[in-house]
Amino acid sequence: MREDGRQDRGAEVIVPLPVAAGIGLRAPHVGQVLAERPPVPWFEVHSENYFADGGSALAALDRIRADYPLSLHGVGLSLGSTDPLDLGHLAKLKRLADRIEPSCVSEHLCWSSVNGRHYNDLLPLPYTREALDHVCVRVGQVQDFLGREILVENVSSYFAFLESTLDEGAFVAAVAARTGCKLLVDVNNIYVNARNHGIDADAYLAAIPPAAVAEIHLAGFDASGECLIDTHGTPIAPEVWSLYERALARFGPVATLIEWDTDIPEFGVLQREAATAQSYLEARLAVAA
Amino acid sequence: MPSLRELQTQFAATLFEDTGDPGERIAIYRNTVFANYRKALGATFRVVRQLVGAPFFNAAVDAYVLACPSTGGDLNVYGDRFGDFLAAYPHAKDLAYLPDVARLEWAVDEASRAADTRGTPEAILSALAAIPAERITAQRFALDASCRFMMSDYPVLRIWQVHQPAFEGDITVEFGMGTDRLLVRRETGNVVIERIALGDFALLRTLAGGGDLASALDAAMTAEATFDLGTTLRACIANHTLAELRDG
Repeated sequence: MREDGRQDRGAEVIVPLPVAAGIGLRAPHVGQVLAERPPVPWFEVHSENYFADGGSALAALDRIRADYPLSLHGVGLSLGSTDPLDLGHLAKLKRLADRIEPSCVSEHLCWSSVNGRHYNDLLPLPYTREALDHVCVRVGQVQDFLGREILVENVSSYFAFLESTLDEGAFVAAVAARTGCKLLVDVNNIYVNARNHGIDADAYLAAIPPAAVAEIHLAGFDASGECLIDTHGTPIAPEVWSLYERALARFGPVATLIEWDTDIPEFGVLQREAATAQSYLEARLAVAA
Repeated sequence: MPSLRELQTQFAATLFEDTGDPGERIAIYRNTVFANYRKALGATFRVVRQLVGAPFFNAAVDAYVLACPSTGGDLNVYGDRFGDFLAAYPHAKDLAYLPDVARLEWAVDEASRAADTRGTPEAILSALAAIPAERITAQRFALDASCRFMMSDYPVLRIWQVHQPAFEGDITVEFGMGTDRLLVRRETGNVVIERIALGDFALLRTLAGGGDLASALDAAMTAEATFDLGTTLRACIANHTLAELRDG
């Protein structure tokens, strides 16, 4: 690390995400963002949506990157799968990262494929020693391939393996400790899992080493009977704001992202959610000062 | 204790096996997995979805997922077999034009993601000018990476056009108008679909397949006796359809 907090990467320099509330940029808002250049501290996009060889979507991302820090968030690498790592997928991610020079590259702590077949969803891992060893090897492979540190994100789940022998929080923390990767803590996912599996959300936060936390995600959930579903299609729930406040109290101020992926509202709604997150961040920054 | 691989294999089987009650929690995954596919393919195959309505479309997507499973982590490229799937889908057998509409939408999608144009008309013209006249017909051309060809017995371009959000006016589609020969490509960032003449279609497809200008001209003249090479070459160089001279 250099004195200004930037991470040296040979000749390149990675600019860290601002400790502020950014917005997940989705296709319906790209035109508006390009036209109006709203005062958003940073954006995050789904990596796979820019795997194209060329074309207008990628050109638009170049223009956004010229004016804003960007984070690349992958949804399809299938990090925890026991199938071989998809090197073609990884090569496209590297090509995009080399082009965009994002502040960070993140992936999910989950699996999406097995026996050659993809389910294109974020499926839960059993929290076992074997799964931990496996995921750590894979995170290492990805970091080596990309030539940079990645962030891994805890996922929401509706199913828990009886075979699990570790708490999810301890599992997530161990991945960071063993691989040197950073953590993207999704506070909504912790809340959803706490409710779905009867976990103590505060104990989960307490298991996470603050120094490893590089980003926080916030989003809304829906309910299906007793089960909470991580739809990213509703406003952030009051209980999640409250857990976010406790997360900041533990981790200190961290770059925070608002995600909305289903029934995407007008951009102003996302800006208002981001403003709320920003006020929590500023309260924490004031304490730290 | 079962291995991680065994647990993943077991979970995946429960997810996609129709028989038996998967349990409430696995059923949630089953729903979200199929919803993801319906949403992703619905964004690409907008016209197909409009033509058949959401319930039919969603059922077709579900059947596609089971018949042609996804093998990659990028959902943006999963629609490649949807047109062929629809051609064999029993519930769509009365909608004979539907597979070609899907293939056209896929061609548009691919064109939008293709590599950006490299050459310029000026570069290709000066390269041609430097070639001795007797060697011109031995030249091979690289088409713009976005170019896709499409031939259909149905008026798929007209069907596509009247289902675009910005379309205004008469939405009548007349069938029996003959074969649609289409070139889909990107021009200044936007995908364009052109109905092209028999000779042009034959020439460009031969060049796209790696044939030299002589064989492409043969194909064009066979397809259309009045084909004029000069006019087509000038137009296709000017609009970037022909992007570069190929080496060798």
